[in-house]
Amino acid sequence: MEKSLFDKYGGFSTVSKIVMRLYDKLLDDDDVGPFFDDVDMPRLIDHQTKFVATLMGGPASFTDTHIQRAHHNLDIEPLHFDRLKDLIAETLEEFDVAPEDIETVLAAFEARRSLLLDA
Amino acid sequence: MTIEAINEQLLRAIGVGVALLDLETLELSFRNDTFMEWFGGPEASARLADLFPTLDIEALGAELSDGGKFTAETSFKLKRRRMTVAMDFTRAGNAGERIAVLVCQNITRIKELESMIDSYSMMVERNTHEIKREKEQVEKLLLNMMPRSAYEEYKSFGVVAPRIFESVSVLTLDFENFDRILEANDPAVIVSELNDIYTAFDRIGEQFGCERVRTNGDSYFAVSGVPDPVLDHAESVAKAAVRFLRYLSRRNESHPIRWQARLGLASGPVVGSVVGVQKYIYDVFGPAVERATRTRTRAQGMTVAAHPSIRDLLDSRFTLTPLAPAKAQPEPREDLFLLEESNPATATGPA
Repeated sequence: MEKSLFDKYGGFSTVSKIVMRLYDKLLDDDDVGPFFDDVDMPRLIDHQTKFVATLMGGPASFTDTHIQRAHHNLDIEPLHFDRLKDLIAETLEEFDVAPEDIETVLAAFEARRSLLLDA
Repeated sequence: MTIEAINEQLLRAIGVGVALLDLETLELSFRNDTFMEWFGGPEASARLADLFPTLDIEALGAELSDGGKFTAETSFKLKRRRMTVAMDFTRAGNAGERIAVLVCQNITRIKELESMIDSYSMMVERNTHEIKREKEQVEKLLLNMMPRSAYEEYKSFGVVAPRIFESVSVLTLDFENFDRILEANDPAVIVSELNDIYTAFDRIGEQFGCERVRTNGDSYFAVSGVPDPVLDHAESVAKAAVRFLRYLSRRNESHPIRWQARLGLASGPVVGSVVGVQKYIYDVFGPAVERATRTRTRAQGMTVAAHPSIRDLLDSRFTLTPLAPAKAQPEPREDLFLLEESNPATATGPA
């Protein structure tokens, strides 16, 4: 069985740092940040952890319906989606994730675009 | 620059919030830069109760009047991030002044990491639970294919060493005119009928200490004494055989297909082992199996034929009548017997 990116980059030890970095970026960003204004910290961290683990093939449990339900009452524009995508790429680069692996992660993210935008 | 000036500079710039609290008025008299960044400077209220409405002022006063320490936590939003700060009040040394030092440590990251660990451990726990459930399913499947002791051996060593069982008894069964039944009925009906019958056989066998080894189409093969020794293995298969027939004849009364079983019993040694590498199955073979299979060919429909090897192991509860020598060739050389229960009326047990 092929090793998941989650395992390739050192499992939870590395992914936890990626999650934290992404969390910082999300909150500081004025495009996507406002979506999280009223989200409780533990809940947001929980979502971020599962989100990154899902994208990297870790032990996560996000199904498409789950994602759809979590975002259906948000006014997400293509701009927001693209901005988050940039932030993910940026973060992964900071952790020396290989370009082809970043592509894989972004493709996994892109695959869920319609779940968020059309919801 | 004097030492005092350097100290004050440091105190202002340090990443820890520091303030001095007048315990008489419960107002802050000094706030460093970090403290002001978090909780506001001179423009904000200096009163402790205004700055930290959730703080238990009474408890704080009580602790500090005895010269002790008081700790608390407070949360606030900085931009959109929830910050958590640990507050630590310590009574200052000078006995004349009633002053306390308030030190505020930023523990936001610790709280965030705690949340992440919670989230991750829940994920892992759920996964572990799923893996456990899958493992149980695999185990259940494997236990259908082999006895538990063989499975335990397989789990520990990856192989199951063949074992010789010196004295066991074997029961084999098939149905008369199976070909004709197959032709006359829908395959799905046959499968469901056999499923029903074999399940009943398994249940009866289990009650008498027999374990099914395998079925192959219309042939059913069970053994007593493998892998756990059974003292009265001959009696086990004989009792099961009689009850198989009793069950079948009752069943035939209310079902369109009249199954006519032929049974062969024999005793002797067998080898038990897992056979195959990719597709493994626990199998039992050897003299006792050969004898039972040969013996079965001499049984008429709804009768039990017994091999001489099992005769001496059975007591008077069973009647053994010699069978006429076979006319067909090749025939079993041994003198075979028709096995019946001596007194079926007093027989107890199911089916």
